[in-house]
Amino acid sequence: MEKVQLNVNGFPQVVLVGSHETILETLRNRLNLTGTKQCCDEGTCGSCTVLMDGKPVLGCLTPTVRCVGKEIVTIEGVSSGDNLHPVQKQLVQNGGMQCGFCTPGVVMTAIPYLKENPDPSIDDIKEGLSGNLCRCTGYKKIIEAVKNAAEELNG
Amino acid sequence: MGHYFRPTTIKEALSLASDWPGNYKYFGGGTDLQIYRKQKLLNNEAIIDLSELDDTCSIKADENSMKLGAFVTLDEITTSSDIQTHFPLLAEAAASVATPVIRKTATMGGNLLVNNRCTLYNQSKEWRDAVGSCLREVGNICLVTGGKDKCFSRNVSDTAPALIALNAVVIIHSQDGKKEIPLQDIYARDGIKFHDHLDEDAIVSEIRVPTKPASWWFKKLRLRKTLDFTSLTVAATVDSAGIARVCLNGVSMSPVLIEESLKKLTVETVIKKARKNCKTVDNDLMPLKYRREMINVYLNEWWKSK
Repeated sequence: MEKVQLNVNGFPQVVLVGSHETILETLRNRLNLTGTKQCCDEGTCGSCTVLMDGKPVLGCLTPTVRCVGKEIVTIEGVSSGDNLHPVQKQLVQNGGMQCGFCTPGVVMTAIPYLKENPDPSIDDIKEGLSGNLCRCTGYKKIIEAVKNAAEELNG
Repeated sequence: MGHYFRPTTIKEALSLASDWPGNYKYFGGGTDLQIYRKQKLLNNEAIIDLSELDDTCSIKADENSMKLGAFVTLDEITTSSDIQTHFPLLAEAAASVATPVIRKTATMGGNLLVNNRCTLYNQSKEWRDAVGSCLREVGNICLVTGGKDKCFSRNVSDTAPALIALNAVVIIHSQDGKKEIPLQDIYARDGIKFHDHLDEDAIVSEIRVPTKPASWWFKKLRLRKTLDFTSLTVAATVDSAGIARVCLNGVSMSPVLIEESLKKLTVETVIKKARKNCKTVDNDLMPLKYRREMINVYLNEWWKSK
């Protein structure tokens, strides 16, 4: 076990973690931040995506110890109170979720993606979100929502 | 409970490796090896995370040559304008690996040294226990071929054939010192000891490409346009002297290189050599016959395009 100091959603957290534990396990089991979903647990589905220093990483493959000194942002840290982030707002308005299990991963992938590509085409978005699987297969609405979010972010 | 180390120099990493003989694993990005750990295919106690090493994250590419740190991420390679301009073959090969998010963690060196895969090996512990003996894991017989002495797991790196076609050399550090060897020489034609030509504690720190090719070609066969490991990758270059270097991967235990002057080659001889050197067995999701036939299709396509 190791005692590590993490910075999650702007709050410093001191936790005792297993040396080989992943950040997904730490977030869900030790910090009770269960918004980040554990789905395939082998890097295939993208449901566990979180931001590490603004860069999307898969929570199930990232060792917690590697996150020391980095800023972690999870789905819980995206909105400011009741004001949803434009990506979240558009997913709600466009019906971009059915069961909602993949949605935290989609949001955490789309936010840094739209920062890097402010004006993506539909095909660009498909490529950018290609690591996020939705078993309800509601891809069309997710992609439309992200497109609308890009337009909203561009003002 | 395990140990996790984050050395900052290669010397420190090598001394950690000697402290844990046979019981450690190096991590680049860790995106491949973490899955092996979860499936209980790797049980080492120590993880030596090399992502903090100094001086291994630079990209230098100009019109003559290219120098890459081994811990540059695949995303940095695909988005680097210098690589896109001067070595588009590598940019395209890197862009075909896994998904955009995984590419932000996965490293160049890690992709070159990715473990060989087989449909009967890369499965959960429960799945493997149910199916039984596999030569590479615990058993004494290969479940794919029924043979007793040889494993045919496939090398699935996409950047390896691209860099082999580009005639790359890699800089390797081990307890025995620093070595520079051609990339294709690190792969052994063996499904279990696929990196047997490397020392056990070897760390690839840098990749160098000496010259820019006159023309290039790249294509990857897979079930979906994203995420999937390769079923067949073909990378080919022709240099200014007319020497063709065609490298196939995903169809054999190691990348298969065919190097010959274009004057001496015909498309039939390339296909014949490729089919002879590729030990393709039925260990992928795509059917064997289809994968073998696609070798002909891709090589024909390359031949027509050049």
